[in-house]
Amino acid sequence: MIYLDSAATTLEKPPEVARACAYAVGHLASPGRGGYEAAMAAADTAFACRTAAAELFHVPGPEQVVLTFNATHGLNIAIRSLVKPGDRVVISGYEHNAVTRTLRSIPGVEVRAAASPLFDPDACLEAFYQALEGGAAAAVCTHVSNVFGFVLPIEGIAALCRARGVPLIIDAAQSAGCLPLDFQALGAAFAAMPGHKGLYGPQGTGLLLCGGLPARPLLTGGTGSASLEQSMPDFLPDRLEAGTHNIAGAAGLLEGLRFVRRRGVETIGAEEAALIRRLGAGLGRLPGIRAYLAPEGADCQAGVLSFQAEGWDCEDLAQRLGRRGAALRAGLHCAPLAHQTAGTLDRGTLRASVSAFTTRREIQQFLTILEEIL
Amino acid sequence: MLYYLIVCRSLTYAQRTAAALERAGITAHILRSPKSIAGEGCSHSVKISQRRLAGALQALHRVGLDPKRVFLTAGDGSYREVEL
Repeated sequence: MIYLDSAATTLEKPPEVARACAYAVGHLASPGRGGYEAAMAAADTAFACRTAAAELFHVPGPEQVVLTFNATHGLNIAIRSLVKPGDRVVISGYEHNAVTRTLRSIPGVEVRAAASPLFDPDACLEAFYQALEGGAAAAVCTHVSNVFGFVLPIEGIAALCRARGVPLIIDAAQSAGCLPLDFQALGAAFAAMPGHKGLYGPQGTGLLLCGGLPARPLLTGGTGSASLEQSMPDFLPDRLEAGTHNIAGAAGLLEGLRFVRRRGVETIGAEEAALIRRLGAGLGRLPGIRAYLAPEGADCQAGVLSFQAEGWDCEDLAQRLGRRGAALRAGLHCAPLAHQTAGTLDRGTLRASVSAFTTRREIQQFLTILEEIL
Repeated sequence: MLYYLIVCRSLTYAQRTAAALERAGITAHILRSPKSIAGEGCSHSVKISQRRLAGALQALHRVGLDPKRVFLTAGDGSYREVEL
């Protein structure tokens, strides 16, 4: 199989990830729930995972790294912590349903989309500048569009938010592990990310990086701490981690984080961007293909590329590709707002996305298969 | 053997505390706090040798992890809070 759906889940992982998960299932108990060896070993694993993430993303303390089930879980916590009914919220024009549906579920929220053209960071900044006029309870911005790979100018957006005193929530679902993210320097309120994409952990893992603002628990329950108190503890990470941890997932995620650290975020990001440029160039040679590519030298597209084929329904073409062994996702990618912003809402797109394990040979094989189908 | 227990409000703080002490060359073990000193119900403590308290407090102060409560074991198995 030629796997080009890493924006959904990276399928190939470093072998240590599966080994760590399997070991954890047989040897690690619940962290914080006992003083015996298996519980303390689990605690060590969770702490090592938090510490590795804190180092990778420049978070001041490991307690500010909350273990979640996925990025959506973290985004729900972050948004519900900051946004009350009737508040105004600024978002980019490229947000995922994890953001837009969550905002819609809070009564009376006024969502102001800072929509801007694809692969135009300056226009994106200008749109945020204008949308933040008059203030907002929060701004939510994806670092990389999950549909188009557009790298939004998150440093500039963070600076605008700091200047206006608007707390920023970063959706790092597509950037964690392949683009540098300095949480402390950005001064963001929260950053949410999955463990199972660019961090190479298993599904069912995620991280929420927390700044200094009060956080509202999404779940309540046991934490192994302050048990006499009938409200959730007021300290992190316990406040946001009710119930038994996915410790097998954390063990795998820890190995994924170590892999990213060894390989280097910048190296992974550069290799993925190069693969996407190669893919884009190949698509450009095929008749009837429209590929959504950043301008040459613009350096604002990560390892994700969308395209359409003239005369083809995107789902039909994805099915045909799948039968030939090429795995891509088609449709709206749970991000109708991004398609609306880019003008692709009516037809959707096919999306190819790569990982640290994708090879140039696979890109070439995919192009050959696509050409044969067309 | 007499030893001190540094009571931490969460497991993660206990882990940070123990890691900071180990970095300072002070042997530290994490354990569930004894019920009688656990405070709000359940907590974790970091156990250090009786001889290392002063160095431990200095090391923790340097990294902004000043403990709130410290207990000394008594010979009869009870605990006495240390005034910091």
